[in-house]
Amino acid sequence: MQAQPQTKLPPPAASANDTKPILQVKDLKKYFPITQGILFQKKVADVKAVDGITFDVLPGETLGLVGESGCGKSTTGRTILQLYRPTEGSVIFENKDLAQLKGEDLRKMRSNMQMIFQDPYASLNPRMTVGDIIAEPLEVHNIAKGKEKKERVQELLQIVNLNPYFINRYPHEFSGGQRQRIGIARALAVNPDFIVCDEPISALDVSIQAQIINLLGELQERFGLTYLFIAHDLSVVRHISDRVAVMYLGKIVELTDSKALYANPLHPYTRALLSAVPIPDPVIEEKRERIILVGDVPSPVNPPKGCRFHTRCPLAIPICKEVAPEWREVGNGHFVECHVV
Amino acid sequence: MSNTLLDVRNLRTEFATQDGIVHAVNGVSFVLEEGETLGLVGESGSGKSVSMLTVMRLIPMPPGRIPSGEVIFQGNDLLKLSAEEMRQIRGNKIAMVFQDPMTSLNPVLTIGTQITEALELHMGMNNEQARKRAAELLKMVNIPEAERRLDDYPHQFSGGMRQRVMIAIGLSCSPQLLIADEPTTALDVTIQAQITDIVKRLKRELGMAIIWITHDLGVIAGLADRINVMYSGYIVETAPTKELFANPLHPYTVGLLGSIPRLDEGKREKLTPIEGLPPDLVNLPVGCPFYDRCRFRTEKCLQENPPLMSVGVKHWSACWNYEDVRQQRDAILKRTALPVAGTPQS
Amino acid sequence: MATTTIDLPAAQVELEKKARPAWLETWQRFARNKPALLGLLIIILLVLTALFAELLAPYDYRQTNLDAVEQPPSAAHWLGTDAIGRDMLSRLIFGARSVVFVMFVVATLTFTLGLLLGAIAGYFGGWSDTLISRLIDFLFAFPSLLFIFFIAATIKPGLVESLRSFALANNMPWLTDFVRSGYADYLVVMISLSILGWAGLARLVRGQILSLREKEFVLGAQAVGVPHWRIITRYLLPNSLAPIFVAISLGLGSIALSEGILAYLGVGLQPPNPSWGNIIAEHSVRYWRTWPEMIWMIFIPFAVIASVVFAFNFVGDGLNEALNPELHD
Repeated sequence: MQAQPQTKLPPPAASANDTKPILQVKDLKKYFPITQGILFQKKVADVKAVDGITFDVLPGETLGLVGESGCGKSTTGRTILQLYRPTEGSVIFENKDLAQLKGEDLRKMRSNMQMIFQDPYASLNPRMTVGDIIAEPLEVHNIAKGKEKKERVQELLQIVNLNPYFINRYPHEFSGGQRQRIGIARALAVNPDFIVCDEPISALDVSIQAQIINLLGELQERFGLTYLFIAHDLSVVRHISDRVAVMYLGKIVELTDSKALYANPLHPYTRALLSAVPIPDPVIEEKRERIILVGDVPSPVNPPKGCRFHTRCPLAIPICKEVAPEWREVGNGHFVECHVV
Repeated sequence: MSNTLLDVRNLRTEFATQDGIVHAVNGVSFVLEEGETLGLVGESGSGKSVSMLTVMRLIPMPPGRIPSGEVIFQGNDLLKLSAEEMRQIRGNKIAMVFQDPMTSLNPVLTIGTQITEALELHMGMNNEQARKRAAELLKMVNIPEAERRLDDYPHQFSGGMRQRVMIAIGLSCSPQLLIADEPTTALDVTIQAQITDIVKRLKRELGMAIIWITHDLGVIAGLADRINVMYSGYIVETAPTKELFANPLHPYTVGLLGSIPRLDEGKREKLTPIEGLPPDLVNLPVGCPFYDRCRFRTEKCLQENPPLMSVGVKHWSACWNYEDVRQQRDAILKRTALPVAGTPQS
Repeated sequence: MATTTIDLPAAQVELEKKARPAWLETWQRFARNKPALLGLLIIILLVLTALFAELLAPYDYRQTNLDAVEQPPSAAHWLGTDAIGRDMLSRLIFGARSVVFVMFVVATLTFTLGLLLGAIAGYFGGWSDTLISRLIDFLFAFPSLLFIFFIAATIKPGLVESLRSFALANNMPWLTDFVRSGYADYLVVMISLSILGWAGLARLVRGQILSLREKEFVLGAQAVGVPHWRIITRYLLPNSLAPIFVAISLGLGSIALSEGILAYLGVGLQPPNPSWGNIIAEHSVRYWRTWPEMIWMIFIPFAVIASVVFAFNFVGDGLNEALNPELHD
């Protein structure tokens, strides 16, 4: 293995000072109430799915958001797009706080931000033809009508490398990878600036995953898209992201540019997560040292006091059990939430 | 160790469906040595799970059918055994762990009852002995407070813990062979690391053979001694693990390696996906099943399905053009490695 | 980007140029199911018989002929006559009209009530959901036959009585005729079956809407910015209609059966109103001793009811398969 080329491009995070973020998330919280009772429902607790996270997304970049199941990464994506309304905090997108927008104003904003879903079998309306599915955003935002609309739909199908004659087919006639392309075409229909990709490849077979990853990369270059890429697979996230945020139990624990995160992770959770990801190379695997975490992720209904990771952390010190660490920058756009670092 | 434990010969499995006969497994042959770990790698529909369910005689018949094949386990052909004789082997000499830890335990019985059941049935233990052994087994798979947890029900365990319980049940009768069907696919990576860690340790301690079914080349790289790559119900390549990763000689294996992003690579190292889709298992082509998606294909591939051919030491590939693959694959697989914390740097 | 194109063979592409409408595909899937087609044929025959009963029936279904009682089948009476000389075939044909009339009204009422109340409960939730769900639970928990007996025993006499005095007081001879002719029987049957019928449908609709709202494609529509009413009409309703149609088709069979049972038990349509159920009831008592010559008197209405119930069940199954293409992937 050769050392990587020394010609370093400035990491996107370094340009944070002179580039205005396209999206600013501040202290975002999303709690889901747990209610009890048959006639009189009352709230007994909250699932703290997202519990105070702050980050920026810069124009044209891909910010990867990784974490294990139940860490709140998908909820974060949906709350940013206001599919779930935030419990607290703000989501500033193109100078407007989406959390404050309602009704028609919010609906109109949706032509600038889009989402690609995880499950290609559940994310397309089975009763609509592919043509109607892709035309839907064009119609509801009054972008195109009639012949122009049809041409645009066919163009979109070609953009995602599907046969433009497929417009009269139904979703069930397509394979998983093809359905994901249809979902991407729908998201592109309104020419959005920003797309939340919520685990867009994790339901697909390995050989098909690469097709979709490459397609997303090509589209980003071609249309200058900004992605928030949500995934549990750190290899995929490294492949596609400029910067990466790591989530654990409703909090972002570390955020920095991709290269730094993988070469020099600071948070003990990030280190454990990275060491757990297998590398398809038996020679490397033989010599790797794994940090095996003990136990399981605690429940988001009653997250541990102090640092949320202290129950599993190999480096925990007494203060971690009492005081929640602060979100702080440790240099050059590298943020971390840990007492020990 | 070079005693043959399992010898599968020309195994075929098919299913009658509304659309026609699905040819799920199409003449699979391989040998497993005692104490060996074999990886079975493939995507959905490759026949990797069905072939092992056939070995275990767990295929529902009908619609399933086993038109040909022998499964010689310790000298007996499992396909010729009576249902009763097969029951004696299942869970006793061959154990199986499934993908979904949420549904493979009975929700109305305690964990203790479910482990002791097999011990009492196959090992002839009394209740007290079985309980003691059950607690030992739970300790073996790193479940804390094992004695107390025997009286808990499955819903009181997390997904990762349930999968460890399943492994404990699988190992309860000290089987010679453990078949693990994607046991970590439904789990998070940190939990996956816990499980693979435990399995590696147990294999060292107990010395059973393992067949590990997976779609994840990363997981299998650190586990298996040898790997069978499956596609459309055929084994298309088989080699010792290091040899397979260093010297892949089937276009599909090369395609798989070229299409997965790796943790130790930078952004946008170009992936080389495998184009198109796998063939319809109802209408398999006469020639090579990978023909449509293959970048090395020739006229011969269309007409004749290549058999497994010896291409190196203990290395077989089902490709007419494996020499072309050897010469050209580096262009597909060449990528630049970047440092990752915790990985050895050369 | 030609590298990642997935192309089908040219022939198939040609085929795709012709748009095939959704209903045609659904019909083709339905038509592949032979029992469902047979069921549909029986239903069409049933409806045609009901519509054109006057043209088809050789006699008036009320017309007695004491010179020809208990006749076996003959050229004059294809299916023979009953104890007071009424033509069996004509009674069966008008019986079809009764059952179709009851099914039509009951289905309309249950469909409207079920869809409306189920959708309100599922979409708005909260108090409306609690109220409607409890009502549904109550109706499910209550023994339905007992409920109908209750209505027949309490409401029917009162209803008939008040209608009669209302007609007298206001000098409305047509209403008097209506009451006297026994049409009040229909009202009782239809009201009780509707009250009982909507609850099952409402529960189904509520469940459908609740589960659909969580589906990714509904979230996807929201993310695209599809307005509320359009989500309801293009996403929620079309996807919940399939199981509703299936339930209604299966439900129609059971309405036909219930109508027959009620008539047989004497709480539904009473003679001289024609009902397959009361034909069985009349003959089951009268012709016990003359078995087996007269068994066809019971067997024929029995076979007719059974084939109608089967027909609706087959069509329901066929619809289920035809409307859910995903089931067959």
